[in-house]
Amino acid sequence: MSEPTSAGPHSAFRWTYEGRAWIFGDEVGVDGDLMPLEFALKRETRLDVLARHTFEQLDPDFHKKVAPGDIVVAGRRFAQGNPHIQGLLGLKGLELGLICESISSGSFRNAVNAGLAFLPNCPAVRKHVGQGDRLRVNFETGEVSNLSTGWTSHYSPLPEALRTIVAGGGWRLLFRRGWAEAAPPPP
Amino acid sequence: MGKTAVEKILSRIEGRPVKRGELIFPVAELVTVHDWYVCNMSQTLAEFGVTSLYDPRRIAFFTDHEPIAVSPQAALRQKATREIARRFEVEHFFDVGRGGNGHIFGVEIGLARPGMFASGYDTHVTSYGAIGCFATAIVTEVAELAACGSVWLEVPRSVRIDLTGDLAKGVYARDVAQYLISAYDAEIFDDAVVEFSGPALKRFSIDDRFVLVNTPMEVGARTGFISPDDICLAHCALRGIDISLAQSSDDDADWAEVIELDLGGIEPQVAKPPRPDLSVPLSDVKGTRFQHAFIGSCAAGMLSDMRTAARILEGRQVHSDVRLFVTPATQQIAVQAAREGLMEIFAEAGAVVTAPGCGACAGGRIGPTAEGEVSLNTGTRNDFGRLGSTDARIYIASSATVAASCISGAISDPREFLTEVANV
Repeated sequence: MSEPTSAGPHSAFRWTYEGRAWIFGDEVGVDGDLMPLEFALKRETRLDVLARHTFEQLDPDFHKKVAPGDIVVAGRRFAQGNPHIQGLLGLKGLELGLICESISSGSFRNAVNAGLAFLPNCPAVRKHVGQGDRLRVNFETGEVSNLSTGWTSHYSPLPEALRTIVAGGGWRLLFRRGWAEAAPPPP
Repeated sequence: MGKTAVEKILSRIEGRPVKRGELIFPVAELVTVHDWYVCNMSQTLAEFGVTSLYDPRRIAFFTDHEPIAVSPQAALRQKATREIARRFEVEHFFDVGRGGNGHIFGVEIGLARPGMFASGYDTHVTSYGAIGCFATAIVTEVAELAACGSVWLEVPRSVRIDLTGDLAKGVYARDVAQYLISAYDAEIFDDAVVEFSGPALKRFSIDDRFVLVNTPMEVGARTGFISPDDICLAHCALRGIDISLAQSSDDDADWAEVIELDLGGIEPQVAKPPRPDLSVPLSDVKGTRFQHAFIGSCAAGMLSDMRTAARILEGRQVHSDVRLFVTPATQQIAVQAAREGLMEIFAEAGAVVTAPGCGACAGGRIGPTAEGEVSLNTGTRNDFGRLGSTDARIYIASSATVAASCISGAISDPREFLTEVANV
């Protein structure tokens, strides 16, 4: 895995991931494919527990095969379905990055809330990345490089305001700030 | 260029014009939380040292997913919920037997009003769009929303669905909604407000509108919405609901897409497992046998659903292989259904009527499926595990289709049981 890059105001957060690519298809379901539904129904939020069950129904050994810094490369409408956060927390727990052709809106929000490094809008990226290819992704600038083939492209990163949330570890950062600064309600 | 109603509502909240794509922190006027999630939220509040909510007058707790506690743990959760409601001085607390399904009775009693901005833990808060309330789910951050008043929101784009033509007999709003999300690319709806409009909208009652507005969310829409019209205003006038905030979309708003949907070509629909958008014409799955059935949920527990199902089941018997649960969405619907003799019809047909609320659709806590079973029901979703067993196959359809199919124990066409032209 690469060393943390200089990342402006979010210097503690590692924006650049380097690792193997794990390819998934279109419309990976958030419940079932990405995470068994039972963990959503149990409201499980412990990263270590969820990490072990990530993609379990597609590949029971997925969590053993991946290494921190690896990158999930998915197709259209990644994590579609009822917007449960558990699958996104599982990816975070495994310290994986995510690039996808598109992501369903509920899971977009949950990925931000989970503090996951991700690029939500990488059209046709799977044409340029094969299973197991070595990738380097800078989630702050949107630069994606396939080190196995020499291909490089640039996609839109998250807006700055959302990168701040991701870099702060997810929704908890905003909660702390909001609670400290909340104005009183109107009468 | 004009504005959509949702842009107008968010502009009012922000006190300045907002435009699509902007990231804002709009203060919600109503925050809804259901059942045991109140306990999870309370834990989060404690973790962050929160001792009072932003504005308890804006908070509503509903006990509807598990209205009858059937385990000691559930009884304890309900007790804890009462204590939390008291501690935080929550103004709108609807406990067991006091309201029913919050997505529906919130509209019955005017807790959700036209032109309001509501948000809540449960995705189906989107039902409030039926009366022109902009309602969108905030799942994980609901504790933050309750404590701080707002969370980030991107001003959404809007897609307009113009309804034209007439529904055929035996085809209902439910079929329209299922057809819509299966016939079009889900990316059209993703993160969009899906607003229903067009000349045929006037044939859809408030009951029908709930399912129209809460179905697009199943494929990733931000919410559904209907600008208040005469039907909405009549609903509000009858119940004394304040309409002073009501907003309607302008024709020349910045629509991301406008789709004309001709109702005339739509047949009864059945969504195959495991996704609501895998909807097909009923004839494709006709004859599929099932053992578990349910009529209810925030997409089908309305009085019109009760009436339609009762009309089909009157004088008939649910097949001996099938157990049918019927759940009126709200206490008021249960009262009216009883007055009309519908409860009697269900009981005589061999169905079980459950306490008002979400019914089996809330994770199968009430009347779940067993391993290897097949269910046909009117729930909102049909993922594996939705109704208890993780391998039960779940088909979803209209109340008429479920009721008609229960008689033979196999998916059947409701049109064969309807002798008169159905009201939409």
